[in-house]
Formats: sequence, structure tokens, C-alpha cells
Amino acid sequence: MAQESFLTDDFLGQLISVGEVDILVGVPTHNNAKTVGPIVETIQAGILRFFPRERTAIINADGGSRDGTPQLVVSAAIGDAQSRSKLYALRTLRSISTEYASSPAGGTALRTILAAAELLRAKACAVISPESTTITADWLAALLRPVYADQFDLVLPTYRRHRFDGILLTNLLYPMTRALYGLKIREPYALEFAFSGRLGSQFLAQNAWNEETARAGSEIQLTLAAIAGGYRIGQSFLGTKQHVERRSADLVPAMRQTVGALFSSLEPNFSVWSGKTGSQPIPTTGAEQEFSLEPLRVNRKRLREMFSTGVAELAAVFQSILSASTLAELQGIAGLDEANFSYSGELWVKTVYEFAAAYQKSVISRDHIIQALAPLFRGRALTFLMENRSGSAANVENNVEALCLEFERMKPYLLEKWNGGK
Amino acid sequence: MPLKSDEPWYKHAIIYQVHVRTFYDSNGDGIGDFPGLDEKLDYLSDLGINTIWLMPFFPSPLRDDGYDISDYYSVHSSYGTLEDFKKFLVSAHERQIRVIIEMVLNHTSDQHPWFQQSRSSQENPRRDWYVWSNSDTGYSEARIIFLDSEMSNWAWDPVSKSYYWHRFFSHQPDLNYDNPAVREEMWNVMKFWLELGVDGFRLDAVPYLVEREGTNCENLPETHAILKELRHKLDEQFPGKMLLAEANQWPADLRPYFGDGDEFHMAFHFPLMPRMFMGVKLEDRKPITEILRQTPEIPASCQWCVFLRNHDELTLEMVNEVERDYMNDSYAQDKAMRLNLGIRRRLAPLLDNDRRRIELMNGMLMSLPGTPSIYYGDEIGMGDNINLGDRNGVRTPMQWSGGWNGGFSVAEPEKLYAPLIQDAVYGFPAVNVLSQKRTQHSLLNWMGRLIAVRKTTGAFGSGSIEFLYPGNQRILAYVRQLGEEQILVVNNLSNAAQAVELDLRRYKGNILIEMFGQNIFPRVGELPYLLTLGPYQFYWFRLRKI
Repeated sequence: MAQESFLTDDFLGQLISVGEVDILVGVPTHNNAKTVGPIVETIQAGILRFFPRERTAIINADGGSRDGTPQLVVSAAIGDAQSRSKLYALRTLRSISTEYASSPAGGTALRTILAAAELLRAKACAVISPESTTITADWLAALLRPVYADQFDLVLPTYRRHRFDGILLTNLLYPMTRALYGLKIREPYALEFAFSGRLGSQFLAQNAWNEETARAGSEIQLTLAAIAGGYRIGQSFLGTKQHVERRSADLVPAMRQTVGALFSSLEPNFSVWSGKTGSQPIPTTGAEQEFSLEPLRVNRKRLREMFSTGVAELAAVFQSILSASTLAELQGIAGLDEANFSYSGELWVKTVYEFAAAYQKSVISRDHIIQALAPLFRGRALTFLMENRSGSAANVENNVEALCLEFERMKPYLLEKWNGGK
Repeated sequence: MPLKSDEPWYKHAIIYQVHVRTFYDSNGDGIGDFPGLDEKLDYLSDLGINTIWLMPFFPSPLRDDGYDISDYYSVHSSYGTLEDFKKFLVSAHERQIRVIIEMVLNHTSDQHPWFQQSRSSQENPRRDWYVWSNSDTGYSEARIIFLDSEMSNWAWDPVSKSYYWHRFFSHQPDLNYDNPAVREEMWNVMKFWLELGVDGFRLDAVPYLVEREGTNCENLPETHAILKELRHKLDEQFPGKMLLAEANQWPADLRPYFGDGDEFHMAFHFPLMPRMFMGVKLEDRKPITEILRQTPEIPASCQWCVFLRNHDELTLEMVNEVERDYMNDSYAQDKAMRLNLGIRRRLAPLLDNDRRRIELMNGMLMSLPGTPSIYYGDEIGMGDNINLGDRNGVRTPMQWSGGWNGGFSVAEPEKLYAPLIQDAVYGFPAVNVLSQKRTQHSLLNWMGRLIAVRKTTGAFGSGSIEFLYPGNQRILAYVRQLGEEQILVVNNLSNAAQAVELDLRRYKGNILIEMFGQNIFPRVGELPYLLTLGPYQFYWFRLRKI
């Protein structure tokens, strides 16, 4: 049962007004005024086109926007889109908003949406990122229909991504999740996804919601909870995911949210993942994943410098995390120039697994462990960029697949580190 | 006994629609008749209705339940005599019950002597009383109304070897209203009945009187001119009598039928009815508030007539495709329930015999703007028989008791004009007047109470309406106001209990008096007024500043 106390009375009043729904769409926001209006209109169009008879609500969980984002969500109306596409609303389309905190916290936003879904007894819920400007009305059907009509519990997206978009995903989150849990889930950390009411309630009840989880990547935790709980998981192809330039300073918070959450899940889920070998595909609607190949400027020199500097400056930290051989290999490649630089898949997997084991043992502060992984990831990212600089989309996919197999092949090494010493 | 002078009486009427054939058979021939209806006037008076709308009772081959008239000046022999009608009329008036009768202006039966003469030769003086053509291509933009049975609006007449125009069944040729003699004769017909004392007419199928090439032949200015002419004569010669329009049209197209208060006194609000059913099924007020927002203002002397069910199918002409599909899937999953663009079912079966929904729908009927019309038998929750053809399934004999033929007739059951409803749920042993009269909380007694409470205020009949839009869209709330009198109506359209906060600040200081139990509710203040309602519950509150 949800702890209702974290919901404001005003929000509770709005939920009472909305009443029971069949479908709920959550939109977590923070200062998204530039994009959120058209996105909510597209969500409304998707609801009218694909779920015209269902009781629906759009719930905005806002982290203290100062740019009028919540007002835009609540006032969004699909007037123009409606007349263009001849959509007709049988029912009242409800959009409500709540400010869950004065500063953004993804976990709390998701928790708010989960609580709303439970209180409104939603059968199917989707979460849509307020930055997904490539969204189309079809996304609503792709995500929600498998849950609403086909009894899936979690539907994750697949996209047409730029080959250099989501390198953390292709080089760590996807392959490691796949190797651990034996399921080929391309986007275990998704910003658009759908889930069943029963999975949402289960996750809401079992998760220990605190300050740490409020900041952590609850989305990936939901995926991992679905896997661990044996829920029915599927994927739907949503089309193009636009490339968003990220600042280098964003990397550590992103890793905390994703890699941190993944590492954290290992201990409670040990019995789930430890015995699994290989991996299986999951039901997928549309393409599993596509890569686009447009030219993209990447500052490779800076990546290499950040890697080398990190290896040098964090040597003492690495000594407590990594095996001597791994550290030696890393120090070796840190001295290579860009032309000869190569952070192999095997070494990368070894590195990640050793970090995961160190995280479990808390050899130093867990947060420091995640921070220490960041420069090493930059080195791996550089190699990935160079390996795929001129290849076809199929080549990129083959390289990702090869890394996944490497993660699977070396899983015993993780178990060895997990169960034994350094 | 003279009727009370309460002009305009139609604004405060509670109409009861009945076909004489269906109500009570006094002579044991299996068919209801005027003496039978006369006998049952006390029942209607007890129910609280004050106006009877009689469906066509004229001589007719009855191929369209009397809407195919073959003599406008008499009574069908099955229903009695003209004398019986006059006697019934006097009896009704003695009970302060007004009588409006059906008048089918647009067409006659093909058995009417006028048509027989018209088809007999090109030279017959009545040739031009109908719309004839040598081809079947004219007025091609006019839609076909009875899609399930007619392929064209033209029919070939082998006698006169030409085509005649008909908007309804092919055995119902349209009169030619471009002919002044037709217009004059139809006024004579109306005058005949007005002189007998009827209080008004429900004019059938009025949008189709005139045809013009290049139009859809509906709602034409020439049609309105004819109707205005009739109204003018009515006011001049029979003041206080009323015209009620049957025009199944969108509100904006209906508006001209009121003219400047010089055409119809009343018109049925066809688009509202399906949306009331839709609102309850969707558990959302949107369909209802939306259509009433689109409903234009009408002249002060005019009035909408609202209804839940009538003798026809629940028409879905005035909804869009999305809404029509939804209604069919929601209320007529069995395709046999569908007819033309509608659903041929009665109120109780439509609402799954759910007493709470039946009460809610009647509560809305009695409290939304307009004069309510109740279809006979719906006050006891009668069922239907979709195995009878056309719309006959909703025109079965009235169920008076659990005895022989449901108390409708002493005839052999095989002689009845239609079989009684006999199924376990709606059959006459289960649903009948006698047993409901004996049960204090029966639907019949509840309906009587509802009507009585409605009559305690003029606001429902003549008052303005202002919708409240609480955050909870399952709640339909409005204030009806007439002068100083204010009535707050709150309807829960949902199958589940609901809480609602109403912004009643403008009524601050009033206490709420629940009109059925006369209980006092807390005074209205600055804060939102919190109410909780059970599933499908509704409240009528009188606002009183004491």
C-alpha cells in the first residue's frame, strides 16, 4: 500500500476528482517549458486515437519548475491536432499536476506517478519524458497496448539511435543486465516505458523509498524489479530517439542513477542472477534496435585525456577496487597515444565486474566507486567511438553484440570476485 | 371543468406518451381503445402526469403503426369511435390532463383516397397533391432515412407509371406542400381536432415538408414558412394551443423551428437523449454538458421537450461515428437490437434493469431544461421484445397486473395486437402496475414521488441553468433558477461512490434543503462545498437563505 503522506492534500484532492482510470500517463518534469506542451498534446492525441473509450489521466510530477512547466501541462489541449486528425474525445481528458519537491529527484517523481497509479487503480501506465520531442501518438499504442491488452507487465522501448548515442547503455547497462539476468533488454534504463498496475503497486510497496532512492535511477530499478519478480516484459520499437548533447559533468550523476542502481541490485537479486547463463530474447514489437550513422563531432582527445588523468590521479582508489593485473593493464593503455589507444572489451568487462564486486563489498564509499568508474568509462567510450567510426549500422550492432557476449562469457569472473577476494 | 389557466402550460407539463392500442383493451378484442384509455386516466392522474401525447389513432392500414394515415378525420375502428375519443378528451380534461395528438403532416398512407385519386390519372385534381416525377433521379442530395428498408426516396407507381417521392417508407407518399390546396386541407384537419378540444399537436417529421433541387430537402426556408403559417392560424383561432416539433436535427438546425417565438412552441431535443445514456456509460458529464453548451438560446415563450425513450429506436443520427460505435457497443451488443441508425430498446433493458441508473436517468430527465416526456410503461420498468420486427418490440401491451394478459385485455392471448413481454425479468408477472402500486418503494411509486417533487418548483420547467464544473468529471452539477428560487442538482454518473467539491461561493449563506426528504444540509460558506454521493445517486437541493 502506498504511503500517501508524501502526496500533498491538493494533489490528493485532484486524484479524488479524477477517480478510477484505465490508463495513466505520467510526465515527470523540471523546467521543460520549451518542449512539454507539444509532448502533452501528442500524448492526448495518442490517447484519443488508440484508447478513445478508456478512462485516462495525465499526471505531471514536477520537481519545482520555475518556467511554468506545470501550467503548460495542465492547459495543453489538442485543439489543432484534434481538428487535423479528426480525433474526438468521448470523455473528459484530465491532466493534473503536482510539485513533489522544490528540486528535481527522478525517484520521487516516479514514486509520485506510481502512487497516483495505485490510488486511481490504473490498469496500464506509461511514463513519457518531457524532452522526447520526437514522440508521436503511436508511441502511446506501442507502449501501452501490450500492457493494457496483452497482459505484459513492463514494456520498454527500443529506438533508432545514433550509433554514438547512449554509449553507457551499449557498453555497460545493456550488456551487463543481459549477462546477469539472461534477458536481451536493450533499454533497461528507459525514459519512456509502460507498466501494469500490479507491477507498479508491487514496486511501490517493496521499494525502500528514501533520499538515496529518490535520486537513484528508479526507472532501472523498476526494470530490475520486474526481472527479479518474474513479470512479463516486452519491448516496443518507438522510432527515432533524438540525440541530446550531454555535458561531461552529467556523466557521474547519470552513472549514479544507472550503474549505481544496477550494482545495488546485485546483492538482493543474487539468487536471481547468479545461476543464469547465456541470454534469451524478449517479446519485441517492431525492430529490436537500429543505429543511425549521421556524422557527429566528438572530442576524442579530451576523452583520452580524461581517461589518462583519471587513471593517474585515482591510482590509490583503483588499488582498492581493481585487481593488480587490471590496474596494470589500464595504466598501460593510459600511456598510449590516440592512434594506438584501445580499451578492449575483455578488459572493460573485467573492470566493470571488479567494480561491481568492490561495490558489493563497499571497499570504499559506494559513491566514490561510481565516481571512479567515470574516467574509465570515458576510455572505453573512446575505443567504442574509434571502432565504430566508419562502420555500417550492422557493424555497430555486431560490436555491441560481441561486447554482450564478452559480458556473458566472463560472468564466472564476476561470481569469482563476488564470492572471493580481490 | 375548465383547465387552469397557467400559460404557458407546456413549460410545466409532464408528458406521458402512449399509443391507445397499447394501453388498455376495454372490449376484449385484443387491441387497446379509447374507452380503455379513459378507464385508466386515474392511473395517469395518480402518477402525476398532466399531459398525454397520443400516437396516431386515425384510420390506417397500420403498415407503420398508424403513421400511415388513410383518413385524418376519424378514429381507427379498432380504437373506438370519434365519440369515444371525445368522451376520453372530456374525461382527461376533467382530471386537469391535457391531450396532444400526433399529426402526420409530411405524408399519408398510399391507401389514402387522396393518393388513390392522385395516382389514378395525370389529370385528376389531386394529382398535384403528391410529388411525382418521370425519373427517380431528382433531389439526389436527400438522405434515405430508413436505411434498413428503403433503397431510394423515389418509388415507382405502376398505376400512374411514374415515380412518387417518399422520405419514409415507400407506402407513405409525401404530400406536396407547394400546392396551396394541400396546405389548406392540412390546416382543416388540424382545425377539426382543435375544435374537438385537443390541446396541441406533435407534428411528425416536419423538416421534410418541402423539396428543392440542389438541397438535402431538410429544414428549408419554404418549410419554415409553411409552419409559421400554421402557427399563425393556430394563435389566431385557437390561442393557448401548442405545437411540438419532431425534428431529429442538431441544435443549431433545430433553433429555426422556434422562429421568433412564431413557429413551434416546443421541439424535441434529440441530440441530448443519446448523450445522457453516453454520459452514464462513460461515467463522464462531457457528452451532456457539451451538447447543452451547443444548444442555442430559444425565445422565452418556447421550450425544449426532453425524453429518455419513445416509440422509436434510440436514435443515433445526432451523434458522430465515434459516439455511435460506442453507443452500439455499449447498449446494443446484440445486432438484433439495432435498427436504422439506432437501438430499438426500452429504458429498463438499456440500463440493465439497474434501478439506480433508471432513477438517475429519470432524475436528470426531470431536472434538465425542458418539458419531460415519459414513454408509457417506462414508469414501471417494462422490457422489450427484440424478436418483434421494426420498432414493435417497444410497443407491446401495457402490463397492468400479473394476471390474464397482464391485465391488458380479456381476449385470447393469440388475439392480442402484439404478444406481452413474458420473460422472467421483464415479463408481466414480474413487472406490472398492480404489484408496484402495492410496494411502497416500487419504481412506479418512486416515479410518482419524483414527479411530485418536480412540481414543487417552477425552476425545472422555466428556470435558467448554470453548470458547475467541479474537478470530478463524474459529477454533473447545475443550478436551476427562476426568480429568487434556486435549485442545485448534483448527479453522480458513476457506478462508484464519489466525493465532489462544489464551488458554491456565489450562493454563500444559503442552506441546502434536500427536496425529497426535506433534510437540511450545512450552510454554504467560502470553502468548497464537499458532498459525497453513492453510486448513481443524485441530489436536488433547494437553496434557502434563512
